[in-house]
Amino acid sequence: MNSEVNQPLSSIRALELSEIWAGPFCGSLLGDMGAEVIKIESIQRIGRGPINPPANAGGYPDNDPGKEPWNRQSNFNAINRNKKSLTLDLKTQPGLNSFKDLVSQSDVVFCNYARTVMENFGLSYEQVRKIKPDIIYMLMPGYGNDGPYANYRSMGMAIDAITGHSYLRGYPDMDQSSNSLVHHPDAVSATNGVMALTSALVYRAKTGKGQFIDMSQAESFMTHLGEIYLENQMTSSIRKRRGNRHPDFAPQGVYKCSGDDNWIAISIKTDKEWYQLKAIIGDNSLEDTDLDSLEARLQNHDHLDATINEWASTRDRYDALTLLQAAGITSGVVIDCGADSYADPHLNERNFFQIVDHPAAGLYPMTGPIFKFKSDQGRITHNPAPCLGQDNEHILEELLGYSKNTINKFKTDEIIGTVPLPGSDMGGSRRVAKQRKENSKD
Amino acid sequence: MPYGALEEIIVLDLSDRLAASFCAKTLGLYGCEVIKVEPLSGDPLRKWTNSNPNNQSGDSPLFLHLNAGKKSITINLDAVEGQNILAALMKVCDVVVETQKPGHLDKIGLAYNQIKKSNPSIIFTSITPYGQTGPYKNFHYDELTLFAMTGAMYREGLPEREPLRYSGEIAQYFAGNAAAAATTAALFKRTLTGQGDWLDISIQECMAGHPHQIGRRAPFIYAGEPDLRSEPRTSAAGAREPYAVGTFRCKDGYFSFLPLGPRMWPNIAKMIDREDLMVNPKYEDTIKRSENQEELEAIFQAWLDDKTREEIFRAVQAAGVPGSPILPPEEVHKNEQFHERGFFQNVDHPNGQTLRMTGDPFRFSNAPTSSLKAAPQLGQNTNEVLRKLLEFSDEQMEMLAMENII
Repeated sequence: MNSEVNQPLSSIRALELSEIWAGPFCGSLLGDMGAEVIKIESIQRIGRGPINPPANAGGYPDNDPGKEPWNRQSNFNAINRNKKSLTLDLKTQPGLNSFKDLVSQSDVVFCNYARTVMENFGLSYEQVRKIKPDIIYMLMPGYGNDGPYANYRSMGMAIDAITGHSYLRGYPDMDQSSNSLVHHPDAVSATNGVMALTSALVYRAKTGKGQFIDMSQAESFMTHLGEIYLENQMTSSIRKRRGNRHPDFAPQGVYKCSGDDNWIAISIKTDKEWYQLKAIIGDNSLEDTDLDSLEARLQNHDHLDATINEWASTRDRYDALTLLQAAGITSGVVIDCGADSYADPHLNERNFFQIVDHPAAGLYPMTGPIFKFKSDQGRITHNPAPCLGQDNEHILEELLGYSKNTINKFKTDEIIGTVPLPGSDMGGSRRVAKQRKENSKD
Repeated sequence: MPYGALEEIIVLDLSDRLAASFCAKTLGLYGCEVIKVEPLSGDPLRKWTNSNPNNQSGDSPLFLHLNAGKKSITINLDAVEGQNILAALMKVCDVVVETQKPGHLDKIGLAYNQIKKSNPSIIFTSITPYGQTGPYKNFHYDELTLFAMTGAMYREGLPEREPLRYSGEIAQYFAGNAAAAATTAALFKRTLTGQGDWLDISIQECMAGHPHQIGRRAPFIYAGEPDLRSEPRTSAAGAREPYAVGTFRCKDGYFSFLPLGPRMWPNIAKMIDREDLMVNPKYEDTIKRSENQEELEAIFQAWLDDKTREEIFRAVQAAGVPGSPILPPEEVHKNEQFHERGFFQNVDHPNGQTLRMTGDPFRFSNAPTSSLKAAPQLGQNTNEVLRKLLEFSDEQMEMLAMENII
């Protein structure tokens, strides 16, 4: 094996049964590191947004959903780089058999659907390992695979709530009902998913043993909040919402600069930084030496904020950043995910964005992988998200050795396809119509 | 409990900041032997916060969490002898996790390119705020300022107010987690090829490359859609049921909902015992329900007002609507699900305290297990580690201690 060419996971084939973020992002990160990731989808039910959005709907190139909106959806295309797509109707015997044939040639199966979905297809770990004894198989439901909440539904927001993070975020002067929608725990499940699968691969290489991996998305995220639970046990003080402040550093906050909705974040952690900030701002009201202690700065935080805001209001945020960093002051501009991030000189110098030519969505700079391996420098590492079912024939023919006739029959029988069936999108009209019919019977 | 999937891998943890320390901890949870190298004065995170004056143990909660299960050795890296000891350790270890300023290790001859000559299979994981290259590489940072630079902050909070950071040290944890995953992938490649690698992990890039951010960057680049802070109950056009999206007050606290898609409407109507709304033409599709959002929200809020979080949790699960109670941290480790699964583990600490600590982010069915140990005291394992890995004699160690090297 030529180690100069191969990426860390280029010997690995993984089957992804996932939608939204946690599973799909896990698959993309595996793909970034060279794994062949096959996303198993179906034309009976797709998780790629609506299949009949209005003609000028947002989230599509030039706000045009086009003829194949499921292949042009921004969120899907951003989060599903570096993988293949195979559609299979797992509710049919031929579809299920194809999946099993694929398992026999794969290393990893992972799924972020509700816990019982795989079992209902007849594809539980016990069933799958009969086909491939050393398979590495991961289920990642919200609360784990056992316990009273094993079958509970969840989304990132729910996990954020139950772990205590939602309780602590938001403006301290407002209640939780003003909290923004945050789905961060999904992303944590993705990185932990990669950690789980790769460490299981190391173990398999050493022992020949496969693995069932039980991930609770809640527990996965709770390891990122560990000190908060310990504080509760070690001290009598209960942590309150802090907003942008911190009990040990002051002043600390986000200050409005010139222009429209432009902000700079400043964090004074040491007395040295405080003296530097005083010198830069040069406001007489800061000269009071009483403010040179942390306690005094914490007590006068509102006054300090007002003074810094006044200073910032006439300054360009990047000029302010340059000035503050040169003086050794911890600071950063608040960049958005639009023009700011694409213009960011640092991200650009590090080739964070890569031009991606998507067959249905066109040529755009998309966000690149987050890992930089020295052995991998210079490689184009962002392949476009797959179109629905784009690899059907290739996989069935080349990998599984199916005949052209069989593949054609699969198409006619709608076991595979590249166009979603009517009503197959989440909340599609078919489901709604069925529901209405049932309701009117009652 | 640690799962021994990565047993026999030795990790040198040179971290003095959160992300790298958490990366090493995660590797330790899956069986690596993690040796934390501290200056004689100790990892600054031991005293990271004085916000807990009642903390009796001396070490901060953050330090105890990040270092559970690690070993601690002390080496004075300002002295040449200390640097030589570290170089010798790097020759025999498998992974180095470090967070020094870019270029610093080169100056003392301990960078990847220098060490790989004597240990070609070593994996160096460098985790820094902005990575090893680029104009920001030496920027001063903390969670607030770094979070601002990722794109995550701009959208958090209300449109008419200042952007907000998340609570906790979220960006740094996320990067540390991602780095542990990438390091393990490099370890896997090493089992096949014998080749090491150098990973350049930027905390900014991890968070800027996170689904939240890339999911907003794509509609901007596709169609110029701005990335704005929005009111808490706004949702993507036609995608959700906005009157029931977000966080709502209830009888004993707050409850978060995220019903995705119009198929949730009948579930919600049944759950709040208002099936009559389903035949009302005012609410017949997503667009109509969005137009009448305020009315529906009031109906929904009225249903919530006299119910506890527990009652609502049972109702949403019976109805198949994703949602969860907001728990204050002190309720989390008493929660029945985490209790039943044994997620929090009792760990005895040297000061006599038994603390309930977070356990495994995921579990293996088929790997040896051991029990989670407390964070080490400063230099607790210096003698043991140097004797075992470098075969130092008692005399050598006495001498080094006298010269303030270890």
